[in-house]
Amino acid sequence: MNASKLLTTIAAACMSFSVFAITLDDAKSQGLVGETAAGYLGVIKGSSEVKKLVKEVNSKRKAKYQQLAKKNGISLSQVEAMAAKKTFAKTAPGHFVKVDGKWVKK
Amino acid sequence: MKWMLTLVFACLVSACTHKVQVETKEPITINLNVKVDHEIRVKVDKELDDLFSDDSELF
Repeated sequence: MNASKLLTTIAAACMSFSVFAITLDDAKSQGLVGETAAGYLGVIKGSSEVKKLVKEVNSKRKAKYQQLAKKNGISLSQVEAMAAKKTFAKTAPGHFVKVDGKWVKK
Repeated sequence: MKWMLTLVFACLVSACTHKVQVETKEPITINLNVKVDHEIRVKVDKELDDLFSDDSELF
């Protein structure tokens, strides 16, 4: 009985992550979205669904960045700059990054 | 900043007939680039790494 409860809980927890109809990874690998130098996602080819996803992810990112900035007593733009560096480094080959206003395939 | 205040003050207390001359040997530059303390940078770096792995659906 307890084991099945645990399994249900785990399953529920797993499901809570896939709240988007199109996942971010899908959008990235299909070349619909990419990382910008601002530390946020940018829309390359956007259906309204993709735009909605990007908007949601970006607002969540911003909230996280602001938390970090506040906690460490630095500005949001400093956190954004550091995050951008990391997102660029983390971008998988074949996915897109925005360099000097142009989308480039990494 | 201080010398500017001093200058303003000097202007205020001196009568208008007096001439106040301030000579600076080198131009004053105000550096607006805030340098993030290295320690904080390292800390934020690590916290960003945590954020990337914890909220992988955002990155």
